[in-house]
Amino acid sequence: MEKIRLFLDSDFVFRFKRDRVAQGSFLVFLTILICSMAAPLLAPFDPYDPMQIDIMDSETPPIWQNVDKDSPFLLGTDPQGRDMLSTILYGTRISLMIGVFAVMLQCIIGISIGLISGYVGGRVDSFFMRLADIQLSFSTLMVAIIALALFQAAFGTELYSKVAIFMLILVIGIAEWPQYARTVRATVLAERKKEYVDAARVIGLSKRRIMFRHILPNTLSPILVISTVQVANAIISEAALSFLGLGMPVNKPSLGSLINAGFEFVFSGSWWITAIPSIVLVILILSINLLGDWLRDVLNPRLYKD
Amino acid sequence: MALLEVTDLEVEFPLGRTTLQAIHGLSFKIDKGERVGIVGESGAGKSVAAFSILNLIAKPGRISAGTVFFEDTNLADLSPEDMQKIRGNRISMIFQDPMMTLNPVLTIGTQMVECLHAHRDISNEDAKRIAIEKLREVKIPSPEERFDNYPHQLSGGMRQRVVIAIALITEPGIIIADEPTTALDVTIQAEILALMLDLCRNHGVALILITHDLAVVSQVTQRIVVMYAGRVVEQGPTRDIITDARHPYTHGLIKALPQQNNAGARLNQIKGSMPTLDSIPKGCAFNPRCEFADGQCAESEPELRQVNNRLVACHHAETVSAHYAVEAK
Repeated sequence: MEKIRLFLDSDFVFRFKRDRVAQGSFLVFLTILICSMAAPLLAPFDPYDPMQIDIMDSETPPIWQNVDKDSPFLLGTDPQGRDMLSTILYGTRISLMIGVFAVMLQCIIGISIGLISGYVGGRVDSFFMRLADIQLSFSTLMVAIIALALFQAAFGTELYSKVAIFMLILVIGIAEWPQYARTVRATVLAERKKEYVDAARVIGLSKRRIMFRHILPNTLSPILVISTVQVANAIISEAALSFLGLGMPVNKPSLGSLINAGFEFVFSGSWWITAIPSIVLVILILSINLLGDWLRDVLNPRLYKD
Repeated sequence: MALLEVTDLEVEFPLGRTTLQAIHGLSFKIDKGERVGIVGESGAGKSVAAFSILNLIAKPGRISAGTVFFEDTNLADLSPEDMQKIRGNRISMIFQDPMMTLNPVLTIGTQMVECLHAHRDISNEDAKRIAIEKLREVKIPSPEERFDNYPHQLSGGMRQRVVIAIALITEPGIIIADEPTTALDVTIQAEILALMLDLCRNHGVALILITHDLAVVSQVTQRIVVMYAGRVVEQGPTRDIITDARHPYTHGLIKALPQQNNAGARLNQIKGSMPTLDSIPKGCAFNPRCEFADGQCAESEPELRQVNNRLVACHHAETVSAHYAVEAK
């Protein structure tokens, strides 16, 4: 209770209460999050159940364009006759999951490497930072495309479609660790000069304890800020990969694969298959980024833009 | 056997092709429960000396010669693991700025308990009990509540008390205090000094007080080591050194103290400034700033020698004393 009261009294909450943009984007993000996580309860159809799909329903337009006003498909159907609304809900869930877990992986790798580089310094630091430079000189998408394409070629599409979600998390997670490593390292370099680190060493604490227990908590605010940006980035990367046919398979579509699936039908008039998931994706990314922007301003007004 | 015995300590910083000597032939002894002040201007090597005792000199600095015997072990060639067991356990250190030495994101309780856990196999409850007891000992009001406070919730003086409590928590044999009162205002300074004096007496803890402030040293310590450019220039009982300095540098430091009895008078100062480590003059390091310097001073470096009840490194120790005695009259 005490903690909750303290939190409600904090500057953080105060600033949030006064910022309409932050409130708006938080509300939108929360809605999307809850709806997508509750997809099995909310969605009128189960897009993963082939028994519920009828190919005769394919490319039904959204209800407001449909002649049949009693159509059960609120946002129309995709080329395979799946209900768009349900598919989008499930797809957003997959996108968000990939985004969050990929960022968690980035965090674990990036923070550990950043801490060690910054604190130990010397050759270890040079090694990891050159590694990061090399990694950053390849674009994330390029690394991901090569890795995923190789995997598909080596193990076949069928196996790939089963493990696609893990592969995406792994690839996006590994490809983006330098972002974290660099940010954390920069903060650690500033923190390790401070006297409390000397004091901790003088107390006789171990290096690991000083790094994780004393320095890490002091680097949390930049980590929090880039995390929001990175979640958005990871979702975009996943969407881009899926759009290129290297992401989630057609039978378990994410937002990206939905956009891709509808793309060839845009010119035949079925615009909704591509447009609606695109809009959801844009709104999702926008709300996360706006939240991240706000968070950066609140946590550290001096932090430079990424 | 002394508690801590530093003998001919040399600390150097290799920088590119040159090597800078930060400490040159430092020797001193501290007995159990003794309080010693290390005095000197900025850059005299006071802090480096303290850090070298703890084997924590910033890279690329290293101890190149000499021994640091503490409780019969030579700290200078102890493995990092063994040294870690001594730091904060048998030897504690207090830093200048209590705003900076406490981690801002951890409660003071966490930071105290952590130190105990690092050195003792102890349950959380016991650690907390000891921590609160120490907080009470450093006279922090309602220690049970303060235990869960973050550093920013305490005032500067309170924070320094917490730092002292952390230094005392493992019952160390010696505490090294590096300018412990410099960041505090004068009234708090006096309280903290009185507290440290009390605690050292009650616990029989030896104290090394590093400071540039002779007034502070004279209140607390029994012996003074005066350092200049990484060398000991004078060493002896506090009272004798304050009243009758034998080294021109020590004399300069004492004369530079503001006097209350002649308001409006110009403050004395030692002319010139401490040489940087790459430009230490030949002969006596102090000779360019010294009013007694002659040919001998520019040629040969004076050895520390016994004069009355102290050690002085000056060719003219006897003349200096006589000269100032006359001047005082």
